[in-house]
Amino acid sequence: MKNNFKKDFPIFTNRPTLIYLDNAATTQKPKSMIEAVINFYTEYNSNVHRGVYDLSFKATEVYEGTRAKVANFINAKNSSEIVFTGNATEAINLIAWGHAKKNLKGGDVVILSEMEHNSNVVPWIRLKEELGIKIFYLPVNKDFELDYEALFKANLDIKKVKIISLTQASNVLGTINPLEKIIPILKEKCSNAKFLIDAAQSVAHVGVDVQKLGCDFLVFSAHKMYGPSGIGVLWAKQELLEIMEPIFSGGNMVEEVTKKKAIFLPPPAKFEAGTGKLEAVAGLGAAIDYINSIGFKKITSLDQYLVKYGLKTLNKIKGIKIYGSKKSKNRLPIFTFNILNLHPHDVSEILNRNQICVRAGHHCAHVLLQSLNTAGTLRASLSIYNSTEDIDKLVKGLEETKKIFKV
Amino acid sequence: MTQDPLYREIILEHWQNPQNYGRIKDPDIDVSQINPTCGDKIKLTGKIKNGKLTEVAFEGEGCAISKASASLFTQQIKNMPITKIKKLKNEDVLKNLPASITAARHNCALLCFNALRKGLK
Repeated sequence: MKNNFKKDFPIFTNRPTLIYLDNAATTQKPKSMIEAVINFYTEYNSNVHRGVYDLSFKATEVYEGTRAKVANFINAKNSSEIVFTGNATEAINLIAWGHAKKNLKGGDVVILSEMEHNSNVVPWIRLKEELGIKIFYLPVNKDFELDYEALFKANLDIKKVKIISLTQASNVLGTINPLEKIIPILKEKCSNAKFLIDAAQSVAHVGVDVQKLGCDFLVFSAHKMYGPSGIGVLWAKQELLEIMEPIFSGGNMVEEVTKKKAIFLPPPAKFEAGTGKLEAVAGLGAAIDYINSIGFKKITSLDQYLVKYGLKTLNKIKGIKIYGSKKSKNRLPIFTFNILNLHPHDVSEILNRNQICVRAGHHCAHVLLQSLNTAGTLRASLSIYNSTEDIDKLVKGLEETKKIFKV
Repeated sequence: MTQDPLYREIILEHWQNPQNYGRIKDPDIDVSQINPTCGDKIKLTGKIKNGKLTEVAFEGEGCAISKASASLFTQQIKNMPITKIKKLKNEDVLKNLPASITAARHNCALLCFNALRKGLK
């Protein structure tokens, strides 16, 4: 198949034989995004919100312009609802320590799912130790979908459910959770709960719309959507940001400081202490422009094509066990699998000899792998620059591996 | 077919049929070690008699490299005086393996040795 996007990514010009199938970990970067980062340093490097000179004005314009782009990208009501963080993990920590620690008490319940990335598990375990809250994990059913109805069968005081934090798409199973359907149902039952959505894995694949989702918080990282590493986003409803506590304090987030007292600026500045990752914010803006130039209609149709082809082709391998839905609907092109008794690291070592990059291990999803009853798996995750030929080469590499191991 | 430089015949043989696999009863050494790279876990048990490691066994899931090297390593150290084992260095263990282990896989190849080192502390 012809791929129209590969040419936009310089790494494939520099490494023409590279088969990059680890996009769930991080995506490659388009030229336009790389140039935006370089331009920041070569054209207008200066600090934001400071000087009255042209250069600082330009830097501020790009920084705040990106905030507006992000707001538009996820259909937030106002760009003041967008907080720049280091990544999705940092954004979840900000919610856990800035919101939940203040509003939850011992005995309150946080609902997660078994398919959460560690970033949406570990902060809540720490909060559990700190406050004595309870964590309930929604299980994954036999079709690798979220069994949200388990919440109603669980022995829980539903009034004490204060946070429901779910991923929009699993970084292991590829499952896209139908949140627009699930959230209203859960909301009706758990009227005291705030909804947090981890969109790190989905943001480059499905059009995220915070108003349609009806959530209270949403987080994602730029590096999984063709942007630079080190920058992420927390979106929260304005009224929640107003009462949330910052974790870090210092410069850039204060209105007034005396020897005894500091008055914070309103959000989002309240949560952005110190000089931020200015060049990365510029890159994030360019990454959003890049995605918008393609459009989610094209992206989802390409994803669907790759999912169908991948499932069909991989399933032909004798001894393969795929951890993920057999159906292509509501599924990202992420294929997690094991082959016979082969250890994922041995397989990825052989694949690496053919410049095929796949992930081997637990994919930062320990809870899910425990419920799948496996210590580790292989994962091939695809993006817009991947093609059916890449899947064919993966299959060829896997057959070669079986030959080497004589299985 | 020419032999794979890493997954040589002898490595595959020890992977499929590991020696000293299992657990020693009433052990003097009983230790677990995790490979930080991948999370694989090994359990090592052993018996010491007259200053020698008379019995040794390992169990756990791991890659072909960690399993084969644990198999070969336990063969290497069985009946070796503890004083001599304590003097062993990483190179001595890697040298004993009949394959060229790249730096990326050193943690796999040395998992059993690291477990034993921990157990003899």
